[in-house]
Amino acid sequence: MTRRDFLIAGGLFLTGFLPLGFSGPVLRPPGARRDFLARCIRCGQCIEACPYDTLRAMDITSGGMAHSPYIDPLRTPCYLCQQRGPDGIDRPISEFLRCGEVCPTGAIRKIKNTKDVLANVPEDMKIGISVLNRDLCLAWQYDSCGECYYNCPLKDRALRDFPPDMIFSESTGIRPWVDPRHCIGCGMCNYVCPVKEHVASEVMERSHKLSLFEARYAAMVRNLVGRAGPGVKLPAIRVTVRP
Amino acid sequence: MRGRPHGFKILYLRRFSQVITLAVIVVVPLLSMNPYDWSPSRLVQGHLPPPTVMPVSGDTWAFRISNFSLLHPVAFIEEVLSAKVIYVPALVAVAIPLLLTVIFGRVFCSFICPAGFIFELNQKTNGLMKKVGLQRDLYVRDLRLTFLVLLLILGVVLSVPVISLFDPPHVLGRELIYLFTHHSLSISGTGLLVAILLYETFFTKRTWCGSICPSGGALSEMGRLRILRISMDRDACTLCQKCNEVCPYFLEPMRLAEEGGFDWTKCDNCGLCRDHCPTGAIKYTLGYKGS
Repeated sequence: MTRRDFLIAGGLFLTGFLPLGFSGPVLRPPGARRDFLARCIRCGQCIEACPYDTLRAMDITSGGMAHSPYIDPLRTPCYLCQQRGPDGIDRPISEFLRCGEVCPTGAIRKIKNTKDVLANVPEDMKIGISVLNRDLCLAWQYDSCGECYYNCPLKDRALRDFPPDMIFSESTGIRPWVDPRHCIGCGMCNYVCPVKEHVASEVMERSHKLSLFEARYAAMVRNLVGRAGPGVKLPAIRVTVRP
Repeated sequence: MRGRPHGFKILYLRRFSQVITLAVIVVVPLLSMNPYDWSPSRLVQGHLPPPTVMPVSGDTWAFRISNFSLLHPVAFIEEVLSAKVIYVPALVAVAIPLLLTVIFGRVFCSFICPAGFIFELNQKTNGLMKKVGLQRDLYVRDLRLTFLVLLLILGVVLSVPVISLFDPPHVLGRELIYLFTHHSLSISGTGLLVAILLYETFFTKRTWCGSICPSGGALSEMGRLRILRISMDRDACTLCQKCNEVCPYFLEPMRLAEEGGFDWTKCDNCGLCRDHCPTGAIKYTLGYKGS
């Protein structure tokens, strides 16, 4: 290896770190510190310990962030280390939130997973915040949804019915809105929201049969997406990082 | 009694330790796999069995059993340099591995490192290729310290622990974690391991361990003042050259007695020369000896 080869290889290696500065916001595990990337030694223990396999590792295209854990709420939301019993009540499955419990360098804080952790959520547990787009929302536009409201682990606190800016409602359906004070950003609403690409495109595909109900659903979604125009981000309720 | 070969081979101890480590890094992620990983819908939480919560996790980079955790010294140094903070539980976790390295030298590489184990087994394929005539020597000089310093500086500048991204034993452990939790492999990690294996099959054997590995370089710097070393009894030596042949890093144990004839930092106390010495002239000795 000559010096020239060495410099070329070094330059290529360094360009691999470029995405560090140009990447969009990434959802980190609950309790991630501000200097998360510097502290994370990419040991993979949080990914291994995550009981619902929510945490995924970033790939090589993210350059210097490669192998650090992130949450993709469209694939798996964060269940906050809770197990839902047959009575519908969430109970903690571990003493601490698993990712913080196993983190060897303190990149993720250790958060106690007590019985009332969802009743009063510690501030540093918050992953992000959900943002609802009312123009895309089936509940707001067609009065025929409410999935996010019913599935939210903080139902009636993080996701509520009947927003304060609405004075009077004639409808009987849900009118969901996000309360930023309580929202953890676990991504459950993002996960269950039906306004998605594949639902929108299904109505066009005659190859597989949809039931009448599904067809109506898909048609509504397609209508909404079409009305909102191109370049719109789906689904209607999305998790972003906290400012 | 002088000139009698050793009864017990260090190789057996080493293989035992290596196989145990490999088994651990395979079994630990396997244990934390969820029973319903292949279930099509995981939304209906209340109807699922509780997910597995294992008290044990990790690989050779960082390992944890309940509240007892271990940390690779290089991982600790990198974290301190890139985050500019010392995290006390990490300091506690790194104590035992660091102490072992200072006392026994780079034994992580020879007794524990699972990637090193695989590369060591790969020496057989290298020998096979040599017989067939497909192998050609392309020796890279010892760049471990150069890489180590460069990558540590890069880590300080970018605030990213760079060596953690591609340290082979950790890459292997991490790939196993990915395999058993998300049933996928990463392109970069698997690609790196395959590339190293191919290089060491068709070109010089043990190139990564001997000339490139930055974390191995760091460990050998830590083990400079170690008390476990090999030593040679000159009178018993029959100049058979067997030790020179078996040394994986092309060191020459026959020149042990000479001043400056042996690269002490590169030796990882693997004991192959000791095992192969027909007269037992090469021994392990305890005690400080300036290098």
